[in-house]
Amino acid sequence: MNTPLPSAPATAPEAWAIHVDHVGKTFTLDGGKELKAIDNVDIKIGQGEFVALLGPSGCGKSTILRLVAALEDVSTGRVTVEGSDPTALSRAHRLGVAFQDHALLPWLTIRDNIALPYKVAGRPVDDKRIAELLALVGLSGFEKARPRQLSGGMRQRVSIARALVLQPEVLLLDEPFGALDAVTRRHMNVELQRIWSEQRITTLLVTHSVEEALFLADRVIVMSGRPGRVIKEIQVPFARPRSPDVQRTTEFHHLADELTLALEPEGHH
Amino acid sequence: MKMTAERWQSLTLGIVGIALFLAAWEAIGVNRLAGLTWPPLSAVFQFMFDPTKAQLFTRAMEASFSMVILGYVTGSLVGIALAGLVHVLPIVRPGMDRLASVIHAIPAIALAPLFIVLISREFTGMAIAALNVFFILYVSTTSGLNNSTTGHRDLFQVLGSNRTTRLLRLDLPAALPAVVSGMKYSVPAAFIGAILGEWFGSSRGLGLLMVSAMQNFQIPLLWSAVFIASTASLIVFGLMGLLEQFVYGRYK
Repeated sequence: MNTPLPSAPATAPEAWAIHVDHVGKTFTLDGGKELKAIDNVDIKIGQGEFVALLGPSGCGKSTILRLVAALEDVSTGRVTVEGSDPTALSRAHRLGVAFQDHALLPWLTIRDNIALPYKVAGRPVDDKRIAELLALVGLSGFEKARPRQLSGGMRQRVSIARALVLQPEVLLLDEPFGALDAVTRRHMNVELQRIWSEQRITTLLVTHSVEEALFLADRVIVMSGRPGRVIKEIQVPFARPRSPDVQRTTEFHHLADELTLALEPEGHH
Repeated sequence: MKMTAERWQSLTLGIVGIALFLAAWEAIGVNRLAGLTWPPLSAVFQFMFDPTKAQLFTRAMEASFSMVILGYVTGSLVGIALAGLVHVLPIVRPGMDRLASVIHAIPAIALAPLFIVLISREFTGMAIAALNVFFILYVSTTSGLNNSTTGHRDLFQVLGSNRTTRLLRLDLPAALPAVVSGMKYSVPAAFIGAILGEWFGSSRGLGLLMVSAMQNFQIPLLWSAVFIASTASLIVFGLMGLLEQFVYGRYK
């Protein structure tokens, strides 16, 4: 699997898996007023890189994710994924997305929810793959349960399994653990880190948690709000696979402080 | 289904309410509080379960209920199918909405003579029932088909779904609770339509029994026909309510 798309011939081959190329996005509100959500944002994500987009709520970080997912159109600039228009990726069923709201279908069992991407893509359902993923997210034995019978954390794990089931080229995570309590969330991050270290898919994570971004990502991009702009970028030096202990090192705390400072309104350096 | 204290309470209160209603009916009838045209419940039952009347009622029920069922099924199918059509072809939606509203706004009484001329006396009840049911199901299905959440629609888009797949795997299942609610509320509408239709000179059915009993002052017969029609409608309504509960539990 995971064969890279044939790179565009002659014209400058796009080295980046995801390139948000000087993108602006303006929404027109009901009253006709215009709201600039993001302005001149330039983000490049390499193949197999895990990038976290960190920022306060309303800074436009989710808008960027929605642009990459082709759920919104850019107002200015250009988004390319694997060298082509982002719609190409979803149409080819090579995009995995986990939303803050798990978006599981309440009338399907857990197994059928994870099988949904196969059905939508018109491919035969690979039950072995589903069983593997259920084991990976620690939910073996819950095949026949329905979403409402599961806890919030379990539902999010199902939604991540569903995002991974077709072995996507790009994984987009929009605060997938945002609605969970702190303890479950920390546990989920450890799980996600483990799962990701086994697969290494190009990933864009949107979060407002400094610790989550540092623990999971190779690179953290900090945004400021209204309109959303990139204000800081740091490489995360920790080797993979990362153990939860990483979060107790001095270096982790230093980086966390640095990011927290950048997030504060008067923290523009 | 688990019986909680609350469920028991509402069930008990319901039974007490029905018992009080029936007792009041009996008391008013026995004491002639509402005159001669209000018979005691016991007298109605006695008449209704009189073996010599069994054939009369069975034949009337067969005639009426078959019209109810025919009208209900036809109206449901047409309503759901047209709602599906305007969902897939949004351009015809405003026109179809208006047509459905206009048809619904015309009193069935005014349409009945037209149906008698157009179809036949026997099927007028079915046609009115079908019209009533059609409107309720058209409205509930069109609104139900838009019941999918933004999150689910986004999901289908990022999964690269085409329109047909989304219709079958998202829009239709998400519409099911609204459709089943519509099917519940159109049960009484189907009964009203069918029986009303029979008032206009049908040769069989509970509606005919009611009209002829009224004109011939056969009070127990009139009440029996009304009782049968109401009970049947309530039973089917209750069964649809159970189905609705199940569907809401699973699909919402």
